[in-house]
Amino acid sequence: MSADAFSALSLSLRVAVLATAINAAVGIPLAYVLARRRFRGRAVVDLLVTLPLVLPPTVTGYYLIVLLGRRGWLGAPLYEATGWTIAFTWYAAVIAATVMALPLLVRTARAAIESVDRDLEKAAYTLGRSEWRTALEVTLPLARNGILAGLVLAFARALGEFGATLMLAGNIPGRTTTVPLAIYTAVQTGESGAALALVGILTGLSCVVLVAAGRLGARAT
Amino acid sequence: MSERLEVRVVKRLPAFTLDVAWSAGAGVAVLFGPSGAGKTLTLQCLAGLLRPDAGRIVVDGRVLFDSSSAVDVRPQARRVGYVFQGYALFPHLSVAENVGFGLRDRPRAERIARTTEVLERLGVADLGGRSPRELSGGQRQRVALGRALATDPALLLLDEPLSALDAPLRRALRDELRAILRDWRTAAVVVTHDFTEAYRLADRIVVYDAGRVVQAAPRSELLWQPASESVARIMGIRNVLHGTVVKATPDRIQLRWRGQLLEAVNSPSRSYLPAPDSSIAFFVRPEYVRLIRKDRGLADQRHHMNLMEGTVVGEEDFGTTWSLHIRLDAPGPPAQGDHDVEVEVPHLVYEILEIDRDRRWQFSIHRGSIHVLPA
Repeated sequence: MSADAFSALSLSLRVAVLATAINAAVGIPLAYVLARRRFRGRAVVDLLVTLPLVLPPTVTGYYLIVLLGRRGWLGAPLYEATGWTIAFTWYAAVIAATVMALPLLVRTARAAIESVDRDLEKAAYTLGRSEWRTALEVTLPLARNGILAGLVLAFARALGEFGATLMLAGNIPGRTTTVPLAIYTAVQTGESGAALALVGILTGLSCVVLVAAGRLGARAT
Repeated sequence: MSERLEVRVVKRLPAFTLDVAWSAGAGVAVLFGPSGAGKTLTLQCLAGLLRPDAGRIVVDGRVLFDSSSAVDVRPQARRVGYVFQGYALFPHLSVAENVGFGLRDRPRAERIARTTEVLERLGVADLGGRSPRELSGGQRQRVALGRALATDPALLLLDEPLSALDAPLRRALRDELRAILRDWRTAAVVVTHDFTEAYRLADRIVVYDAGRVVQAAPRSELLWQPASESVARIMGIRNVLHGTVVKATPDRIQLRWRGQLLEAVNSPSRSYLPAPDSSIAFFVRPEYVRLIRKDRGLADQRHHMNLMEGTVVGEEDFGTTWSLHIRLDAPGPPAQGDHDVEVEVPHLVYEILEIDRDRRWQFSIHRGSIHVLPA
């Protein structure tokens, strides 16, 4: 395997693992809140989280540039203060992958949490558990398989992210070129051997992920 | 009688308003009424899982909720045990972990000792390591009771505790539940829509209908003195009929029904004096109607009160008894569709009297068996 291909693969795995970790930290509490709490702006939060699922990835990437780019709403103050911008770094690839994967986790985990019998939570309250302890000891353990399936899907999505990553992180060999971008580049430059190798690896990984998600889903029911 | 439980709750929902007030002493209070009458809502208010719009809830002198002084104790701090319909056992925990769930703040040794004690007392000591999934319906009920009782709650709430069970098991577990509730002496509120269940379990029955309490009474009083026709119907009492008052005195009420002059005993505890010619509802339990044997000579008005004659126009086999639908000879439309009175006789009587062949019968109703229902 060429050095470029190896670096793409290593970057893709790093990005996917980190994006999945952030997804777990943000997405599971978000899924719980959306499933169990009624609050103002709930519909808006739901819409914002789900939107990347239906928008073209390049559009999501465009919004991320508007938000985080050197002249973005958040990016500009950051650039003025530190002289650093996230755009065209591998962190940008992580953020793009995180945003694109979040709806898959949140929707799957939310459905799993909603399917937990509310009487079980009420029983825990009458037995002295706070809502927080009840979520940790009752709700989330019972929704575990659905949450794990959501994390697997999020990982797969993060691994294969192309459009939003290209917009925000660019395609800088050795720095922001993930496997999907490397495949695109290889095809464009006629390196069919390298393209085929990466395609094979990505297909294999995706199959493993789908089988794992399927097993978790089957155990959840 | 000192009241252990005082409940006054108003809760407005989009298509339903719960507005109830009742109290209960020691023992078991049963909330009885049709589905959707607000019984479960009341339990949720008692447990603190649902916040009433207004009202006051006091258990053993401890105020759990009072809208006028803004008291609303959290469900975690109410010391109210809740046995859910379907039991709501934690499926990812063992039986012992379920029972010990409410004892988390106690030292480990004490928690284990208490769990063991509760499981032993309920006769399921050998099931501690099992998963709730592996239990039978009856075992689940005991574990759910054990989980709620382990923390020594001041009040135990049970929502349709037997509805998750098959019919033959229901009956056995009804009596078992009754024994457990008596044994633990915890004040309890049980919700059911089955009158037999209510009667077997209750010391006091509170009858719900459409978000209101229509009667609250000791169970025997309710059985013989429903407060109104609607209570009688909710209880599933058969032969609820309408007549016209002829004369009412503190001990007797004479009334006219289907061309017959009937005499009923006025209730000694709360005599009811409707004006002559006013309409009056009454009921006759089908098993309290006497068929007159034809081989004992002619029936005598002096020996047989409220004597009538009619034809069996329909019958239903209940397994151990027959229900006979009798239509009187009187002109005019029958009181209950195609018949006037339902009479229930044991199978043996049905066979001896050869009711399957002989459809013409005289029958009488003792005046003590005609129960008038205040309007």
